[in-house]
Amino acid sequence: MDLSVKVHRLTKNFEVTVKKPGLKEAIKALFNPEKKTVHALKQISFTIEEGELVGFIGPNGAGKTTTLKTLSGLLYPTSGHVLVEGFDPWDRKSEFLKKIALVMGQKNQLWWDLPAIETFELNRAIYEIPRKKYEESLNELVSLLDVKKLLSIPVRRLSLGQRMRLELVAALIHGPKVLFLDEPTIGLDVVASQKMRDFILSYNKRFKATVILTSHNMGDVASLAKRVIVIDKGKIIFDGNLSELVSLYAKEKIIKVVLSGDGDYKSLEKIGKVISISIPKVEILVSRSMATLAASEILQNFSVEDLNIEEEPVENVVRRIFSGETKNLKRKKNG
Amino acid sequence: MDKYLAIFKISFAQEFAYRLNFVMWRVRNIMQFFLIFFLWDTVFSSPSTQIFGYDRPKILTYVFGLIIVRSIVLSARSVDIAGEVSRGDLSNYLVKPINYIKYWLTRDLSSKLLNLSFAMFEAVLLFIVLKPPFFLQTEALQLTFFVFSIFTAILLFFLLMFLFSMFALWYPDQAWGASFLLFIFVDFLGGGVFPLDVLPVNFQNILYLTPFPYLLFSPLQIYLGKFDTLLTVRNVLIGAIWVAILSVMVNKIWRLGLKVYRSEGR
Repeated sequence: MDLSVKVHRLTKNFEVTVKKPGLKEAIKALFNPEKKTVHALKQISFTIEEGELVGFIGPNGAGKTTTLKTLSGLLYPTSGHVLVEGFDPWDRKSEFLKKIALVMGQKNQLWWDLPAIETFELNRAIYEIPRKKYEESLNELVSLLDVKKLLSIPVRRLSLGQRMRLELVAALIHGPKVLFLDEPTIGLDVVASQKMRDFILSYNKRFKATVILTSHNMGDVASLAKRVIVIDKGKIIFDGNLSELVSLYAKEKIIKVVLSGDGDYKSLEKIGKVISISIPKVEILVSRSMATLAASEILQNFSVEDLNIEEEPVENVVRRIFSGETKNLKRKKNG
Repeated sequence: MDKYLAIFKISFAQEFAYRLNFVMWRVRNIMQFFLIFFLWDTVFSSPSTQIFGYDRPKILTYVFGLIIVRSIVLSARSVDIAGEVSRGDLSNYLVKPINYIKYWLTRDLSSKLLNLSFAMFEAVLLFIVLKPPFFLQTEALQLTFFVFSIFTAILLFFLLMFLFSMFALWYPDQAWGASFLLFIFVDFLGGGVFPLDVLPVNFQNILYLTPFPYLLFSPLQIYLGKFDTLLTVRNVLIGAIWVAILSVMVNKIWRLGLKVYRSEGR
């Protein structure tokens, strides 16, 4: 398969002026501004194949957005090389820009006072899409995202969820091969997020598009991306399958039991840490190595109607990684 | 070309979405006109008063001409550039196959077309109300020079606006100051408040080396037939040279600025 994205030892530094509170400090800064270099990305390298769907995860300020912005040509790399679809993004060639789309959950391109269809028309002209192809992809996107009724309403009157769907139409109307999605579900409610996720997945499948998304919402990443790149303080600390990430760093498993009749709920505590009881359902946290043993013990000593051993939620695992509990992280190459 | 035509259209539609804002802006222009008009009308209230070679009909002709030239040259959407850059909204355009500088020039032209049609209407209205002395230029050559100098002025103002807005690429949190400064320069040094030939000659000579007189003062004087042919040609040329210099500067600084652009605001 062909490579869609190639990043080699990418470094990005920002110069920022330090702002201290207080009038005195403000006046001081006026004459002698204190500069500080922020190392947003420190020599990161990775490659992404055509049609892959990769999730970037990491805490705020880890460098996820900076990576996406560099890949889409917005930021000039301090050092290192970036190639996307064979182009250096920084050159911002038309052929390159026609192949990519950057969707930022908190930036909108739709013209606020006009109906969304006007922005789509504008994009048709900007991306020089032939009329017939434009009509086709517009119809397709509109039905996939279910926004037909919203097309002629001024954007300012729409809800955030509606607007985000229309933002996607505007961003994808030119049929990009590579999609950079920065926090696509931010601020959306559960239903709207789900719709967004379904759409991203179907777009990826249907057009064999490469999709790179960042999200602080682990649910997004877990349900979409097989491969994740974990980034923290400007460095990649894990790159591989999500399931591997979990098995590497999850210390515990969750046993979910449904007891029949009057079980001795109290004595379940001897087996592991009971995290929730809603009779007859119980959830017990046990260490990974003991999980099978604990399960058989439960089966022997209690009358069990149903029993499941589940992985710890990805959120927990990731939270633990970032809180520094997992110190001895192994750097993994592409999984 | 098709893309810039589309921008022209959507920008025009956008202006109409802000109907009230637009009306306010026009009202502001009229108020400003009244202010300047009555100021000079008072100064020259006695018919024999003559200052720096200007008597009442002359100054009022100047002021009346100013309203038209102002509304063509200074009405510009590009005042929004600095804000767009500092908010990071610039990112939306950088990922598209479109030239950001041309994009804004197109939006400016679109805004000007709308403003010009209103300015014409207002001028007729004010003319009826105030009955100022007005000079109708009929010389074809003079009118040609005038049209040319207006085009130059439009480009000059746009380039200056863009130049000053680019400050925001380096200092996104201090984007506005530079653009405000520009407006003051334009009004005082461009002839928006008083005709420039009332200034000391030495100062005028220096001023004519800057781009500012070619924004308002020079086009208007050309219309009014105040310059002889030689001076007219010279002024039109210097204006055009400034357009060339500023275009090169804007393009160079733009490329430098993008390297430091931080694409903030997420």
